[in-house]
Amino acid sequence: MSTLAPTVPSGAREPAPLDTGTAGESLLRGAWRRLRRSPLAIAGAAIVLVFVVVALAAPLLAPYEPASTQWAGQVTPQSVPGSSADHLLGLDSFGSDMLTQLIYGARQSLIVGVVSTVLGLSVGAALGLAAGGLGGKVDTAVMRLVDILLSIPSLLLAVSVAAVIGQSQLSVMIAIGVAQVPVFARLLRGSMMSQSKSDYVLAADALGIRRRRIVMGHVLPNSMGPTIVQATLALATAIIEVAALSFLGLGDGDPAVAEWGRMLVAAQERFGNDPRLAIYPGVCIAVTALGFTLFGEALREALDPRQRR
Amino acid sequence: MTGTPGQRHAPLLEVDDLAVVFHGARGDVEAVSEVSFSVRPGEHVALVGESGSGKSVTSLAVMGLLPARSTTVRGSIRYDGDELLGLGDKERRDLRGAEMAMIFQDPMTSLNPVVPIGVQIGEVLQRHKGLSRAEAREVSVDLLTRVGIADGKRRLKEYPHQLSGGMRQRVLIAIALACEPRLLIADEPTTALDVTIQAQILELLRELVSGTGTALVMITHDLGVVAGLCDEVHVMYSGRVVESAPRRSLFGEPRHPYTGGLLGSIPRLDAARGEPLTPIPGSPNDALPWTHSCAFAPRCGNRVDECTTQTPLLKGVGRETQPGYERALRCFNPIDVREAS
Amino acid sequence: MSAERSAEPDDVLLRVRGLKVHFPIKQGILLQRTVGHVRAVDGVDLDVRRGQTLGLVGESGSGKSTLGRGILRLGVPLTAGTVEYDGVDVASLRGEQLRHQRSSMQMVFQDPMASLNPRQSVETLITEPLRAHGKPVEADTVGRLLELVGLPRGAALRYPHEFSGGQRQRLGIARAVALEPALVIADEPVSALDVSVQAQVLNLLEELQERLGLTYVVIAHDLAVVRHVSDVVAVMYLGGIVEQADSDDLYRSPLHPYTRALMSAVPVPDPDVEDHRERILLRGDIPSPADPPTGCRFHTRCPYRQATRCDDERPALRELRPGHSAACHYAEQIESGEIQPADAAEMVGTG
Repeated sequence: MSTLAPTVPSGAREPAPLDTGTAGESLLRGAWRRLRRSPLAIAGAAIVLVFVVVALAAPLLAPYEPASTQWAGQVTPQSVPGSSADHLLGLDSFGSDMLTQLIYGARQSLIVGVVSTVLGLSVGAALGLAAGGLGGKVDTAVMRLVDILLSIPSLLLAVSVAAVIGQSQLSVMIAIGVAQVPVFARLLRGSMMSQSKSDYVLAADALGIRRRRIVMGHVLPNSMGPTIVQATLALATAIIEVAALSFLGLGDGDPAVAEWGRMLVAAQERFGNDPRLAIYPGVCIAVTALGFTLFGEALREALDPRQRR
Repeated sequence: MTGTPGQRHAPLLEVDDLAVVFHGARGDVEAVSEVSFSVRPGEHVALVGESGSGKSVTSLAVMGLLPARSTTVRGSIRYDGDELLGLGDKERRDLRGAEMAMIFQDPMTSLNPVVPIGVQIGEVLQRHKGLSRAEAREVSVDLLTRVGIADGKRRLKEYPHQLSGGMRQRVLIAIALACEPRLLIADEPTTALDVTIQAQILELLRELVSGTGTALVMITHDLGVVAGLCDEVHVMYSGRVVESAPRRSLFGEPRHPYTGGLLGSIPRLDAARGEPLTPIPGSPNDALPWTHSCAFAPRCGNRVDECTTQTPLLKGVGRETQPGYERALRCFNPIDVREAS
Repeated sequence: MSAERSAEPDDVLLRVRGLKVHFPIKQGILLQRTVGHVRAVDGVDLDVRRGQTLGLVGESGSGKSTLGRGILRLGVPLTAGTVEYDGVDVASLRGEQLRHQRSSMQMVFQDPMASLNPRQSVETLITEPLRAHGKPVEADTVGRLLELVGLPRGAALRYPHEFSGGQRQRLGIARAVALEPALVIADEPVSALDVSVQAQVLNLLEELQERLGLTYVVIAHDLAVVRHVSDVVAVMYLGGIVEQADSDDLYRSPLHPYTRALMSAVPVPDPDVEDHRERILLRGDIPSPADPPTGCRFHTRCPYRQATRCDDERPALRELRPGHSAACHYAEQIESGEIQPADAAEMVGTG
């Protein structure tokens, strides 16, 4: 029986404070608006943008070819040439142009950072979705796997992967990625479990919405926030970890290949005389990681549905 | 039942033209403005309002519990003749607990979950009365008995989560009354409780404050609670007092359309079932700024032209039969008492 | 809400018999053992006539919300009993059959913010259930529903957080009636709203009942609210119904000691009433449904408790007057005045 007549019930009318006709502001759009106005987000985004541009446009920006050691003759055991007209930041201990190495190092960090995070995110999120969405035995199985992964120190993991695949850039990416998997899995699964207990999920069930649609259309979208934030923070961590693993000797064997971490290795011995050999790459690592972290924090605040402003 | 009726005593608490402004990222919000009321010793006063009325903020301002950095408090709050605003943090702390105490709404979050209740009661006694730990323990057991908790010695060692909601509220009352304050502020003390427990707690409050002669400021949205407990009622809306009256007058002849609207829209247990409710249209969010209009205007059935262009002032209204009490009203077009059916 | 609504006196839409909902309490880390049960609903019989409103009232632990969810098979296990809805035993339905049945029995939730998906626009949240059941969605459907609940049509493009509490509750109601159900269970529909807004929603519910021919079960802790909206009221305590009667009848002559105490505890906004009313204060706190008292569940707090039967024999809900039942061994004697209440002890925590 269709009794949905159009007349308005009396006594239930209230003044209409909403200006009708304009589209509402979804949470995502609200988040974007808040992000645009947040100084934290702008600062972080600016740093990230610079980093990405430098990494992508490396061949255009760098004054010289990467890893060319043509000025090796100028390096002595006691000193390395500093800034000059030809070399803005001087040379590194191998005789390459420092600025060029830094710029190409950004490229390495970007590649490894992005690939490993994407790897960790996709595998981790898939596991988390399975656990949070299916529950029961699947959940138990996935979580035990995650526990096992977490119990392996990431360094040990990296060394093991390198031992199996061979020391290369790929093994570094895989190692970092695998170390990220449990973090993402737990995060997404946790969000999903807590969202599943919400009233709106119960309401969807009451309305007779199919279970699959409830999980994918209701629970998942509301659980993604923390995971997305984690992804930006994971990128920051990955950049540091790449450097750390290179510093420890894993990763690409070629010592001249531009990579911030490896530059730190080389700078170690000469730290007393030429601290700038360590400072430059160190600052690059720190600032880039900071940029991602700032942006991630700002994103977390913006996505918080409790903030209506 | 209610407190001692108003006499020509000097007021214990005088709030004069109080204003509270919150400074936020998006600018300033005036949560409370032009609020004045007084409480005589032993009197029971109610601040009634819904969300956004400013009643809780007012009580926090009186207790000095608003965050100093992000709030500005203007006006005057005098306790026993002494001005409180402008006092340092230490002086306010000395007063809190000893002279004026507060009970909050949610007993679960107001008690420290990791500290036994005996310690929580005892520390107030030690701080303000200089009792030793042993002395404080004895007094605590007495207090628990007075608030109706048996087996006090054993209870002292228990943690809040081991007690029921009603018992936790009793513990809060015990803590509040430990140092025999002359003023007790209760902010929605029974809202989170079941109705039969609420009746127990209200009865307890009634007995305790009349027994000790403590003045009570009751903050609530429940007019039923007010009807049985308080001598004088101040109705607040959007940060200002819109009507003040002694309780019989307020309930018998409400003059402000908001008060009248509230009374007409609450289902009453003793009302015949067929009687319809007359709701107040809109919601508390639909308030206009007080600076150039009446905040209640969008929802008011008695609205006239001035209501949206001028600010109504709080004015005294006529003489009251109960000596010592006045009525005050903030309205351009109040409910006409003579035509009330 | 008129009681003359239902044409045939025997037109029972919802018939509940012996319903029990027991939640297992599990302990242990590796192997979870069941060490006990929370008897949230412990044997309930109900009849709700078509077009009528049944009010379920009770305090914490009464089981009223769990009963509502049990009837709708929402997230709670049915330990025992039957739920006959329009001739169908809902308790035995599974999977797709149950899902299909849902379109006829809906719920309005207490917290309007939590029960609406913050990421869905109003349009989506109203049309989603229609699509889930293959019902037609016309260009005008959303607009008409919004108007029905007193909201402007333009609200369709907005998101829940842009509305006030009362408006959100209206959205929840619009969503519930979109499927044109016959039964709507409202779980504390107004307790999360401001006082001045509650009456709006109560009036709306009444209007919708008349226009759409709905049958309601209204669950609330506020006896005044329940009394106002219901034809029949059932009072619950610790998982069972202790008294059931027509709304006016219950108020005029409550037969069960708990009902009397509950009524005397409800504050009335009238100083004269408050000053002169009889206050019945109960002893102690509400026991936990995980460990309910033996015999009559209420005997530990009852001012009329007698030496025999009360502590070892659970009283059945029996009809003492036409249409008025109570679960008390001594209801008649209490009413006649033969048994007087003992003074309520002031102490809590003794038993």
